[in-house]
Amino acid sequence: MVNIVVIGGGWAGCAAALAAKQAGAQVLLLEKTDMLLGLGNVGGIMRNNGRFTAAEEMINLGAGKLFDITDRAARHTMVEFPGHSHASLYDVTKVEPMVRRLLREMGIEIRLMARAVDVIKKGNSIKGILMADDTVIEGDVFIETTGSTGPMGNCLKYGNGCAMCILRCPSFGPRTSISQRAGVEDILGQRGDECYGAFSGSCKLNKDSLSDEIREKLDRDGVVVLKVPTEDIKMEKLSVKVCQQYAIREYAENVVLLDTGHAKLMTSFYALEDLRKIPGLENARYEDPYSGGKGNSVRYLSMAPRNNSMKVDGLENLLCGGEKSGLFVGHTEAITTGSLAGHNSVRLALGMPLLELPRNLVTGDIIAYANEQIKHKDGLKKRYTFAGAEYFERMKERKMYTIDKKEIERRVSRMDLTDILNEKLV
Amino acid sequence: MIGRKLECIDAGSEYCPCFLAEANECITCSHLQGREFCDCNWRGVCIYQEYVWAGNRKKEVRSSYPATVMEKRDISQNTVVLRLKVTKTLARQLDSPGAYVFMRDKEKPSFFDVPMSVMAVDVAKGEIQVALQVQGAKTKALAEPEKGIVVRGPYWNGILGQRYLKGVKNGNCLVIARGIGQAPAAKVVAYLIRGGNKVRVIVDPGKVGAVFIGDLIKDLPCEVEELDLNSRQGIKVVNRYLKNENHDLVFSGGSDKQHLHIIKEIDKLAQKPFIVVTNNNEICCGEGICGSCSTRIDSGVRVKACKVQLDVRRVIERRILNG
Repeated sequence: MVNIVVIGGGWAGCAAALAAKQAGAQVLLLEKTDMLLGLGNVGGIMRNNGRFTAAEEMINLGAGKLFDITDRAARHTMVEFPGHSHASLYDVTKVEPMVRRLLREMGIEIRLMARAVDVIKKGNSIKGILMADDTVIEGDVFIETTGSTGPMGNCLKYGNGCAMCILRCPSFGPRTSISQRAGVEDILGQRGDECYGAFSGSCKLNKDSLSDEIREKLDRDGVVVLKVPTEDIKMEKLSVKVCQQYAIREYAENVVLLDTGHAKLMTSFYALEDLRKIPGLENARYEDPYSGGKGNSVRYLSMAPRNNSMKVDGLENLLCGGEKSGLFVGHTEAITTGSLAGHNSVRLALGMPLLELPRNLVTGDIIAYANEQIKHKDGLKKRYTFAGAEYFERMKERKMYTIDKKEIERRVSRMDLTDILNEKLV
Repeated sequence: MIGRKLECIDAGSEYCPCFLAEANECITCSHLQGREFCDCNWRGVCIYQEYVWAGNRKKEVRSSYPATVMEKRDISQNTVVLRLKVTKTLARQLDSPGAYVFMRDKEKPSFFDVPMSVMAVDVAKGEIQVALQVQGAKTKALAEPEKGIVVRGPYWNGILGQRYLKGVKNGNCLVIARGIGQAPAAKVVAYLIRGGNKVRVIVDPGKVGAVFIGDLIKDLPCEVEELDLNSRQGIKVVNRYLKNENHDLVFSGGSDKQHLHIIKEIDKLAQKPFIVVTNNNEICCGEGICGSCSTRIDSGVRVKACKVQLDVRRVIERRILNG
């Protein structure tokens, strides 16, 4: 029996747990809050731009279960908004229970409100995870998907203070960097001004607080674009965002709202008084972060050095995924890296060679490319996502971007990798 | 594992952040230790946030209050119990196991301050009781105050292992108190009973020569037994209870030697109860500043025992066995 312990129940952790389970392991998923999906509870954007290609690759590689859920939970598909095509917007109020049910049906043990605080090591290998309640959880291989956001002190030092985001550190305690506790130093992302970290890129408004007209248009089209009053256009705000795919002129001059169950406001934060000057938003109020008028969570403060099969350097039995594994943005990216980490955790436990995804797949290429870039100073200021900015440009240049499902299926099968992440190893 | 995470008793209280935060010596917060990123031993609040919101300053420090001696009860040749009138706020703040104050004769300078466990509290009247064993210059002056007493507080680290005390509910507990160690034990007994626990109390008059907490626990539903813990018979009885009664928690109020004996007996048991003990370090300022309570734990790390909830086992074993 192979025992895999996944620390952090966001998209990456859920994907890792699923992949490890599919490979035949006994899997325990630890999550510090009372909900899975972490920031995925306030996200929602799938299949926009290159994420379509990536999602289809993952489905063909055998890690399609979570994409099946986000597709089924979609409120809108094939949405076009500035800089983005064929997006699918999942309903944030529906998706978490669906994922939780799936994981439990698969036989994954989920422990909620279980916060890891330290590691117990023997040599270069992790023996167990010390929990906040002083218990120790042992395992063969560990996967860290604790993310890189917060906690409060970091959001204060590198942001505008705790904005009361979905991670709810004051209630559930702070994220702990497991790799750092195990003696492997974190890598830190930077933003334009070389300050550490970057703000989360969007907020959520309560849909009922918007005008009838805007709400109806959101329900119908999935997207509403409103003009920002000239005196309130702040181009400099774009440089502090993590989501460089949305850090384009249109997002400074306009307020872009997407319908994900709440109204997703595509900016890091926006003073409520100013927001209410915009026609239709006179009564607007924030749903997440609760203090979205003041700030947002700060991210990219804790990445582990890793190889392209997601194993953390310097430790024998720790893998990583999601933001912990690089300057990635988005659910698709988290599911991609998490799934590979989950699959490889079982290989590692069995002493098998670890799987690296080939670079002629976008999923393999982004994992390798982000790892190359992180070694340079300028690379630390960039973010890597299939959805835009530098990496989407690279996809287009290298003719890897396609929404032709048959073509993507062919690419995966040509590598003889079809369904590999669904292969039972134990 | 890098850097042991220490648990500060004052974290999140109205006195946090303190002088240590201003000096980049905070026990809990990594930012306030001069490091760049969060790596704290979370106690429910962000100390860095509190510090910045307070204008990058500590919060208010503890005050000294004049206290009137309402009653002085001689217990034995060397021990008195004082009932003191303090403010109702201070009494409320001291109404928990492990609470202590610094006291001195009002006419004496501040270096006469001596830490004293709070034995009983009457919140409605604003009164506290302390038991005072006369040992040296400070306690002699206190036992015969010329013009009243000055009390500084509240402090809370008089007992190590407080989280266990608060965590054990509806369990089976053994409280062992000897000599002046009876004083902090009184509140422990009441607290454990409030948590639905079955409590057996063993008291030894010790050097004080008398049992003085009888009145405080006589109405509580617990079994009380008087023993000489230094006699062969006394040790036998304690060992028998430990062996046969399957405790969830054992409290030891007394010397380090007594703590160590109990720890060793517990080590022989299959199911190990939580150990809670009186903090016997030499506490002088209570604020983590003066250094008199400084204790080394493993790998030579120095900790301030007046503020840190030390791992009982490690600190006692080190101090007694390794000198």
